[in-house]
Parts: sequence; structure tokens; C-alpha cells
Amino acid sequence: MSTAEPSLAAASVDQPAKPRWMLAGLLTGPALYILIMAIVPAFLMVQLSLAHREVGGLWSPGFELTQYRQLATPLFARIMGFSLLLALTGAVICVSLAFPAAYFITRMRRRAQVAWLVFLLGSLSLSEVLIVFAFQVLLSTSGTLAGALAAVGLLAPGGALYPNFPAVLTCLVYLLLPYVILFFYPALSQLDPEVEQAATTMGASRLSTFTRVVLPMMRGQILTGVLLVVIFTFGAYLTPLVLGRPPQWTIAIHINNAAMGAGNLPLAAAYAVAVVVFMVALLVLTRLLSRRREAAA
Amino acid sequence: MNLDPGMILRRGFLGLVALFLAAPLIVVLSVSFNATRRMSFPPTEFSLRWYGEFFGDYAWMASLERSLTIAGLAALVSVMVALPITYAIWRYQAKAAAVLAGIGGALFLIPGVVAALMLSAFWGVTGHVGRLENVVLSHAIVLLGIPLSLLMVGFRTIDQAQVEAAYTMGARDSDAFRMVVRPAMTPYILCAFIFVFVLSINEYLIAYMVAGFTVQTLPIKIFASMRQGYEPTMCVAAVIFMVMGFSAFTLMSKVADLPRLMGRTRPLED
Repeated sequence: MSTAEPSLAAASVDQPAKPRWMLAGLLTGPALYILIMAIVPAFLMVQLSLAHREVGGLWSPGFELTQYRQLATPLFARIMGFSLLLALTGAVICVSLAFPAAYFITRMRRRAQVAWLVFLLGSLSLSEVLIVFAFQVLLSTSGTLAGALAAVGLLAPGGALYPNFPAVLTCLVYLLLPYVILFFYPALSQLDPEVEQAATTMGASRLSTFTRVVLPMMRGQILTGVLLVVIFTFGAYLTPLVLGRPPQWTIAIHINNAAMGAGNLPLAAAYAVAVVVFMVALLVLTRLLSRRREAAA
Repeated sequence: MNLDPGMILRRGFLGLVALFLAAPLIVVLSVSFNATRRMSFPPTEFSLRWYGEFFGDYAWMASLERSLTIAGLAALVSVMVALPITYAIWRYQAKAAAVLAGIGGALFLIPGVVAALMLSAFWGVTGHVGRLENVVLSHAIVLLGIPLSLLMVGFRTIDQAQVEAAYTMGARDSDAFRMVVRPAMTPYILCAFIFVFVLSINEYLIAYMVAGFTVQTLPIKIFASMRQGYEPTMCVAAVIFMVMGFSAFTLMSKVADLPRLMGRTRPLED
């Protein structure tokens, strides 16, 4: 979806000289709002991660690495490792479902495309609370699914379908699938049908056109799609909390528990800073990878 | 009738994707019409009992109203912040505006829990805690990337020749704005508003961490009830979300070219 990166390359012709006061009038309000609500909180979080923890959920400004030392523990490594495993598994499933789905949708007639877009946007916007709740109903012991599985002997009678890893993974894939389909939509709809027609005319089958022509052209997009899933999974809170057990808790739950439960804001902030650093590293890695591929192509 | 195997395969695959995406919604929808208090699927007896109970319950209605207020204000704020930024990029190619848009886009890419923590720390420091406006301003900033990118799509559709013609004929900025920009942008502004509104009304974690103890939005109320066990009115609340979301995007597809809004620039025939 194009919302992720607002493109800044505005096409425009020669314009009259920029009146400075006009720009100032336009941008002062938005700039102040962004400064106060985005830049200040970001700095605050870094400051918080270095602060001294006081009893009773309080903290005093300071410069200590106490909280960051906790990041060097096996517990933190295990949490991050699990979050990454969940994210990558989810990414592989999501991308391999979403990419062909988006490809087929972009080749439909207008009315069918609009219907799919409304359906995808509608399900994408549904609250995580609601989806988790729906999965709880769907997977409950009294539900049809559990009954059917028990009937064919795949599940012990009265056995539960959650909390466990597959339940968390399925729900995450559910939450992310519309996002990832919509993310691939612009690039795939821009694909010139003549390129595919040319490949088909030269004797390539539809499948080999897809795997040899379409897929290689979309490498960068696919990598970014994977990154999108990873970012979302690291932020997922309710899904692992409700459909998983503590071993399946992602970093988001631990951040929230530290902040709201244990009242240790500095630790929560240190976790959050570590997550952001990790995300930026992944972003840079993705950019490098897709650039090298493009250079090689 | 086209019986090409590739076509059948494509249709089958998309059908399965649609079924997967629809399944939990169908379950909740049908359970909400069930007469019994017990959570059972498939439903045994049709009844509108829980709908009556939901709309007659003061606490549920208060949460719904609160969520609608927050979403409306958050959508208003984020569109009002995004509009001058995108206008400055389109009209003046202002670098400062591009930087602001970049920050807005980057915010959209940080994990939700991190944004929630940042903002809850911020409101904690200001001492302005547990207020409705905290949720409004927090949602508006986190969702800013949406109006930024939708309005940018809108500005790009404006015919530059038309704008130039207006200036050649001696129109001032305000005239050009009234005659060309405003009519062209109205559907995009409306879409940006709807999109932020729907996402805000569904958002849980930020609302919870910023003011969850005092400002109980609909998702917070549903989650609180979930922890106390099953209650059929929860399904009704869920259905309300579904109806609101799907009708909002249907409305959006009526006022604007949805494929274009979602990033298609290649023309699409009917």
C-alpha cells in the first residue's frame, strides 16, 4: 500500500517564486504539531531508557545503562529470537499468499477490483481486539472446528485449539494478509501487461512468465513486503497475549508488561529503543539487498 | 463459459483467500444472532435479543459514543495537518514540507507498541493524563501517514495545465485554490478522513496505554469484557465495527476512484 511511503516527487511545472510568509503560514502549525507529538516523544523515550528507576513506577532523569544491561540477558535474546521467528514464518506465509492474490486482483475487471479493495480495506481496518475475539470463538472447544477435528480424530475430544503457536501464527497471518495484498497492489497494477504478453507470445507458459518475468521484477517489493510483516509482528500485542502462552509472548507484550504492569518505564523504553534500532538495521539491510540485486540484474 | 484450467485455479485460490478472510467475521456475525447466552456455533435459534441489550446498555453506548468522538476528531486533526504539508509540496516543492511528510511516513512504520509507549511517556511527563484529547492527538499523529499519502495522490491528479491557465488569466492563489484545487481535492480529503476515522475507531493499544484507565473506548471495553469471560453483547459490538468499516469503504469507493487511491496509476477500463 502506498501509505507506507508518501512519495515526495511531486510532478510540477515552473511556479512563481515561493512566498516565504505563505509557506511559514502553511507549515508552522503542522511543524509544531509534529515536533511536539513525534520528535519530543521520541527523544523522551531515549531519555527514559537512560533514566534512573525509582520505586512505585517513578523515574528520575539520569544517564545510566542499567536497563540496557538487561538487554544482554538470555531472556531478552530468547524473546527477540522468538519474535523474529514468528515474524519471518508469518512473512513467508503472508507474502506467498498475498503476492499471487494481488497479481490476480490487478488483472480483474474494474468492478471486481473495487469489490476486492473494499473487502480488503474493510478487513484490514478491523480492530485486533475483534479479530482475536473472533478467533477465540472460532477455535473454542465448543466450536464447530474443534468438533470436526475431534470427529476425524485429529484432536482429542474436548481438546483446545489454542493457546499455542499455530493459533498465534494463523491469527497474525489473518491480520496481515490484507495489508500485504494492498502493499503489492500498486506495483503489480503498474506492471505493463505488454511485457507479459510478449513473454507469452515468445512461447513462455503463464506460470513461467510469472516466475521468470514478474517475480524478478518485483524482488525489491517482495523484500519490503517481508519487512512490513516483521515490523507489524514486532508490534503485535493482543494476538500472542490471547492466543499464545508465555513462551509465545512477543517483545510487545514484554514492553507493555514492563510499562503498565511492573511500572518499570525505563526498562520498557530500553526494550523499545532496542526494537527500533533492530528495525532500522533491518530496513538498511533490505535496502542494501535490493540494491545489490538491482545492480546484478 | 471459460473453462481454462488456469482460470479455475486462479478463481479457486482467490476464493480460498476470501473464505479465510471472511470466516471469523461470519462466525461472529452468526453468533451475535444466537438466542442462547452460551457461545455456540453454529447458532441454534435466531434472535435479536443481544442487539436490544447492547443498545439499551448505558456503558456500551457510552463507549461507542466516546470512540466515535475520538475517531472524528483524530481524523479532523490529521487531515488538517496533512493538507497544508501536501499542498506546500505540490504547489511550492517546499523542502521543509517534504521533511515533515517524511517524518509522518516514518511514524507509520514504527511498531504500534513503540508508538504507544512513546506517547504514553509523553503524556505522563506533561501531567495531562487520562484525557480524551490525549487519545485524539495520539491517533492523529500515528495515522498521519495515511492522509499524507492519499492527499498526495489527489494533488497529482490535478491537471497542471488547468492551474497554469488559471494563473495566465490572472488568477491569484486563492482563486486557483477555489476553482481548481478545492473541487479536485474534495473526494480525496473525504477519503483520508474516512480512512483515519475507521482506523482510529478500531485502534486498541495506543488508546489503552495513553488513557485506557479513564477513557474506555469500544475496543478497550470489548477487551475488558473478554477478560471477564464471554458475553453475547461483545459479538454485537464486533458486528458494529464490521458494519462501520465495510460501509465506510463502500462509501469511499463511491466518492473516489478506489484503484487509483490505492496506488494504481495505469488506467483501468470498466
